[in-house]
Amino acid sequence: MTVHKFLRKSAVSAAIAIGLGLSPAMADNIVFWVNSPLASGPDAPIYAEIKAFEKETGHTVEVQPVAHMEMERNLFVALSGGAGPDVMALDIAWVAGLADAGLIADLSEKSKPFAAEYQAGPLASGRFDQRQYAMPLYTNNVALFVNDRMLKEAGIDKAPANWDEFHKAAVAMTNKDKDTYGLTFGGSRMGAFQLYSFIWENGGDIIDETGKVRVGEPGAVDAVDFLAKLYTENHAMPESVLTAGSWDEVNAPFIQERAGMLISGDWALSALEKGNPKLEFSVHPLPTGKQAATVIGGYNLAINANSSVQDASWQLARWLTGPRSVELMHKYNRLSATVAATTPEAIAALPEKQRPFMQQADAGKARPVVAAWSQIHNEIIANVWDSVLRGKPAKDAMAEAATAIQGLLGQ
Amino acid sequence: MMKRTSPRQELKKTWSSMFETGRGARIYPYLMVLPAVLVVVGVVVYPLVYGILSAFYDVTLRTLGSGKMNFVGLRNFERVFADPVFLQASWNTLVWVVLNVVAQLGLGLALALLLHRAIPGIGFFRSGILVPWVVPSVVAVLTWRWMYDPSVGIANELLLRLGIIDDYHPWLGDTATSLYAVTIESIWKGTPFVMLLLLAALQLVPRSILEAASMDGASGWRKLWHVILPQIRVSFAIAAVLTFILTVNNFNAIWLMTEGGPLNSSEILFTLAYKYGFKRFDLGMASAVATMLFVGLVIATTIYLKLIQAREGD
Repeated sequence: MTVHKFLRKSAVSAAIAIGLGLSPAMADNIVFWVNSPLASGPDAPIYAEIKAFEKETGHTVEVQPVAHMEMERNLFVALSGGAGPDVMALDIAWVAGLADAGLIADLSEKSKPFAAEYQAGPLASGRFDQRQYAMPLYTNNVALFVNDRMLKEAGIDKAPANWDEFHKAAVAMTNKDKDTYGLTFGGSRMGAFQLYSFIWENGGDIIDETGKVRVGEPGAVDAVDFLAKLYTENHAMPESVLTAGSWDEVNAPFIQERAGMLISGDWALSALEKGNPKLEFSVHPLPTGKQAATVIGGYNLAINANSSVQDASWQLARWLTGPRSVELMHKYNRLSATVAATTPEAIAALPEKQRPFMQQADAGKARPVVAAWSQIHNEIIANVWDSVLRGKPAKDAMAEAATAIQGLLGQ
Repeated sequence: MMKRTSPRQELKKTWSSMFETGRGARIYPYLMVLPAVLVVVGVVVYPLVYGILSAFYDVTLRTLGSGKMNFVGLRNFERVFADPVFLQASWNTLVWVVLNVVAQLGLGLALALLLHRAIPGIGFFRSGILVPWVVPSVVAVLTWRWMYDPSVGIANELLLRLGIIDDYHPWLGDTATSLYAVTIESIWKGTPFVMLLLLAALQLVPRSILEAASMDGASGWRKLWHVILPQIRVSFAIAAVLTFILTVNNFNAIWLMTEGGPLNSSEILFTLAYKYGFKRFDLGMASAVATMLFVGLVIATTIYLKLIQAREGD
């Protein structure tokens, strides 16, 4: 063999070897934990989307559905043990805690070129300490569900648009003899979640952007007082407000046509239609107080800080949350968090009962992004609501809550 | 002619002979139990020791993430004792345990005496009474939760029709009744197990002793106090200790019915430890509570084992 031939053969062999060697390294396997409603069966739209991603990038994705109630605990156990998925779907309320613990990757640099594609509120829900840790997968907010028949029978011809009308409608639909009530509401942490929109609508806040605790101020106190009195004085909420710890329990009186109004998000639509197919109800933006506001919910995608496939994980997160999410979320009757989903054309393409959510998206406000948020929500604000429903003055309960939150935040 | 052995047989013979004499024979039993010991150490001892040690370290979501956990001595215990919910949970745990143990033993004994009779169809009743025990606890708890519903629950409807209440009541939503409402479910679920233990003990009481007591003119109550209970005392004590352990560990009933609420009125130490661990993600505090529970359960288990030994002695 001549030297020339030898070199040529060696070059070809090296190219093949490099080619073979590089392929597996470039085609990564990504483990993806997704909240189970998005992967409820093999026909769930997310699987088609994942297939398209795999075809486009050459990566493979292992989808592992996890129930919402299990997700936070499972992530905590897995991530703190140095394991867990590469990409994970997070309820927006969990981002701060995991980011503060250094368990999810900082996506600030990677996300910067795409930030303008997302709605401001949902994008902010993935931010902690001025850094971006998660990208919004879908967004939601709470609106007013009204039983049209009950409202009409109460002599009211249009859904309440402000607090005064809301109060009047709630009282008008209440009839002790018929066992009907104006409004079904949650207890404890469920109720706390529903409170936030009203606090903001009244010009109040929980913790403002500067980190100041504001739950003890009149704006917040009066909002809690306004809602609590619908139960304690007007008896316009059923007794289930004391125990309802799940959406099923909050929805039940509305489904049974014992409560004329419900404050909930788009996730309630299918539950209501399934629970009572004959139910005649409509959805409206939340009645406005001093200003319009609605609490933002939804899921974000974050990347494990210890993942060995950071780039591929980012590609997947971007694929699922980017422009394609409008169509993907439409298939789930959910709302994409991209700006493209808020155009008049996109809103018009939504089912009628979903439009109010997107129409009030501009008034959406994320809950405070602080590491101790879970404890503040689950223990402190939930206890405030429980106490006030049982007769404690809102002013006292909120003042105690302010002190407790300040203690938690080390102020 | 000498029989030739294959190399495989030779190896087997050599391997066997290694453990027949000398040091080999001494280590042979240890080798046999080694796999089981390794499993127990890995699955029970290591997590247990790690859990107890965690009570003395600053173990939170943040420190776990960074891998920097500091030794904090008794600081976690101090923080637990400083939490007013801990005091309430301790009191609730006491009420929860006493009510459960007393009621389950009382009802279990009554049912065992009732079913310890040779009447037609008794097998059907014995099987039927075991249903609550057989039903998966999650199913049972969720069913009771709906039965207690303040608007449409059957418990309210029944009590209203019986004239016991004037209006529907939020049994799980009232701080005065929530713990007792959950306790009733727990008693309903646990009593059949006690009944089963005591029924088995009753069947071992010699009929001749009961007949002799009857001939001496002993009434039903005197027979129960002076003949039957002394005969089944060890089984009764075992049932008491087991009920105690199962009640302290009965997380499902309280968590699924009230999550310890409202306003911590049904919080017990087990649910509080869970909240510290998996709601606040403060495993140091959770381990401190769990360690205290563990000590209590070790004492109860020691008593239980002593009683077993006593019964074997009988």
